[in-house]
Amino acid sequence: MSPLKTLLDIPKIFWVNVALIVAFSLISSRYMTILNAINIMQQGAVLLVITAAMTIVILSEGLDLSLGAVMTMAGVVSVLALGAGLPVPVAILAGVLSGTFLGAITGTLIAFCKMSPFIATLGMQGVIFGFTLALTHSKAIFTDNANFILIGSRIGRYVPLAAILCGIIFLSVWATLHHTKFGRYVIAIGGNESGAHLSGINTTFWKWFVYVFAGTVTAMGGIILAARLEVADPIVGVGWEFDAIAATVLGGTSLTTGRGDVSGSFLGVLLIMLLRNGMNVVGTPPIWQPALMGTIIIFAIAFQVSTTMREEAGR
Amino acid sequence: MPRISSSAAAESSPLASSEYVLQVRNVSKAFPGVQALDNVSFDLKPGEVHVLLGENGAGKSTLMKIIAGAYLPDAGEILIDGQPAANLTPRKAQELGVGIIYQEFNLIPFLNVAENIFIDQLPTRQLIRLDHKTAHRKAREILASLNMEVPTHALAVELSTAQQQIVEVAKALTHNSRILIMDEPTASLTDREIEQLFMTIRELKSKGIGIIYISHRLREMKEIGDRVTVLRDGRYVGTHNLSEVTVDSLVTMMVGREIDLLYEHDEVSLGEEVLRVEGLSSKATGLRDVSMNLRRGEIVGLAGLVGSGRTELARAIFNADRHDEGRIIIFGKESKGKTPKDSVRNRIALLPEDRKRQGLALILSVAENVLSASLDKVFPRGWVDQRKQKSLSDEYIKILRIATPSGARITRDLSGGNQQKVVIAKWLATGSEIFIFDEPTRGIDVGAKCEIYGFMNHLKKNNCAVLMISSELPEVIGMSDRIFVMREGTIVAEVSRGEATQEKIISYAMDAAPERPANSGTDQNPARADPGK
Repeated sequence: MSPLKTLLDIPKIFWVNVALIVAFSLISSRYMTILNAINIMQQGAVLLVITAAMTIVILSEGLDLSLGAVMTMAGVVSVLALGAGLPVPVAILAGVLSGTFLGAITGTLIAFCKMSPFIATLGMQGVIFGFTLALTHSKAIFTDNANFILIGSRIGRYVPLAAILCGIIFLSVWATLHHTKFGRYVIAIGGNESGAHLSGINTTFWKWFVYVFAGTVTAMGGIILAARLEVADPIVGVGWEFDAIAATVLGGTSLTTGRGDVSGSFLGVLLIMLLRNGMNVVGTPPIWQPALMGTIIIFAIAFQVSTTMREEAGR
Repeated sequence: MPRISSSAAAESSPLASSEYVLQVRNVSKAFPGVQALDNVSFDLKPGEVHVLLGENGAGKSTLMKIIAGAYLPDAGEILIDGQPAANLTPRKAQELGVGIIYQEFNLIPFLNVAENIFIDQLPTRQLIRLDHKTAHRKAREILASLNMEVPTHALAVELSTAQQQIVEVAKALTHNSRILIMDEPTASLTDREIEQLFMTIRELKSKGIGIIYISHRLREMKEIGDRVTVLRDGRYVGTHNLSEVTVDSLVTMMVGREIDLLYEHDEVSLGEEVLRVEGLSSKATGLRDVSMNLRRGEIVGLAGLVGSGRTELARAIFNADRHDEGRIIIFGKESKGKTPKDSVRNRIALLPEDRKRQGLALILSVAENVLSASLDKVFPRGWVDQRKQKSLSDEYIKILRIATPSGARITRDLSGGNQQKVVIAKWLATGSEIFIFDEPTRGIDVGAKCEIYGFMNHLKKNNCAVLMISSELPEVIGMSDRIFVMREGTIVAEVSRGEATQEKIISYAMDAAPERPANSGTDQNPARADPGK
């Protein structure tokens, strides 16, 4: 493989990221610092986890709009468990299992009841959000448990523990996709579900498991977020699923063909975080940030998708 | 008592298992409204190719799916190695040694060859971690045992159809399949690829694997098959040694009537030139300097191997793809059209090869499909008048003898032949005069084929022009007034009806024509007559 070919094989989105970094550092001298880089990592870490979960779901030709709500619920469950006096590991486990449980319900609706993922997860989003409000009496619940807060904090100035933990989760998801049967079945179901079924794969079970897996992974992200913010806020997760979908698509994963990879989603998350952080650093008025963000994401996706589609047409 | 039962078992089971690897006894299966199989029996010996023959809707697919465990029969039983195999599931059938290669693409596009071959039994080590190395090594071994080379790291989407089939065969072998069902394996293969597939099949036979071979191509099954079982309308017609039956008698068994003239041909006086292509080239689709023409009152065949650019040429003429160079002249005027919509206005009809996806909206009714390309014309005010739609579409259903209870029937529920007729009706309704058929009879039973040939002739006699792409040489030769042969994106020969033979066309298509001068590539159309004359 020639060096030029290797260079061309790098996803376009990578160059968009490079361009953003160059642009922001030209605008602001405060941008290119180690501390700001660590900031981006800490802030983006949880989105990375949820996007990894979302990518798995999308690769299986599914969709999970309830992941933001699952994330919130997991944080709330953990913090409530702490408040009830349970030890930290038990509280964390309770939070994670809440995600597993919710994923199992979502998965049952989709895999066994054959509901459309869009409808099923939109419904679940409402249900989970409602229960979270009820559990918290729609108030943020603060925690001061030092051991719990530790997992979301940074040690000293330069060791972002939340980012490291999320990085490990992300790598585990990547390894699951590439190095386990489940991961290969995800690609199989997304790429050719009837073919997978006729090859003797229990597609119904594995489809169910996709949502169980996504719920579990997302819950881990939710707990780390609650620890980082030192609060379980019942509305913290609103809209996160859309960021995760955007990051997944930006990373080159196709919504319909089982084509894509978790590694691309990393670049998608990076783009979103670079934009968010960059706009703050260069002083974009907050009221304009969402509109600007949306516009740039649309252009970036158009840019990425046009490449993906051209490649697919060329096959 | 124990003595009796054990001796009975000793008598029947070893005998049965040595002679037949599969026995299907008196199987019936009904679907809502259809008796798909009615008391059908079938058996398979190790190391034989047993052809299953029948028109579409004869029950072949249903029988195949029952053997593979995809459907459960309503009555009857299946014995594998002499042992009753009740309540089969796809998984259980696989474990009992039934492998199946469906006609549809059943590989996983974005998994590689090794992963596809071992999809349901991926080797692992350290609990759940996949052992990619072993998978690739074993995959290479299996492919080598078939004398085939396919890169095991290639993704399935990157393979040719022939390679995909080899992967499917390899996949079946991983389960130690002793019964291999192949559903129209040659449907989209070129002649050379078919030869390769037959070599693989002979390899499988020598391993003692019994093969159930489903095909519509009668001559090909004479070459590869040992026995044939004919089904008609879900009923068992008979089983014969292929060496003892003629192609004609097989056709008779299938349709239950004599087909003395499969290909109709009438001489019609030629009219004006309606289509002329000059020097058409396209980088994206690989067309190179294509020139051809088409007149009223003729059927022109477009022959060539799969991938030689025939479909690409058809799409270019129809403005479905852009071209870089060259001119397309329609009814004497240079076409300025840029989209298929312009082509429809120019009275061109394209009946694509993949009619289910490109020719029809399967979930719409027959009536809606019939009028789908002429809505502007029939309902210029934009309001679809249901009564008018019904009366108009009923007319076409009658003219084309589309077998459907009513125009309201969902098109998906029709047989392949009738779906093709709906596509024809759709273009008749637009008032088209230039008809481009891309593999019009692919996957269609003999009866419907005859009718479609009849319509092509009807079009010809009614002063229309027909361009027919076909991979079936007898069809091209039987139907065409002239034949253009394509190879590697360009037309390499024009053959008149009188001088067309299968050997001649094949040799042009495969670059084996004896009269081809041995000079450089500057003259790309050496054997070609002047198209204007």
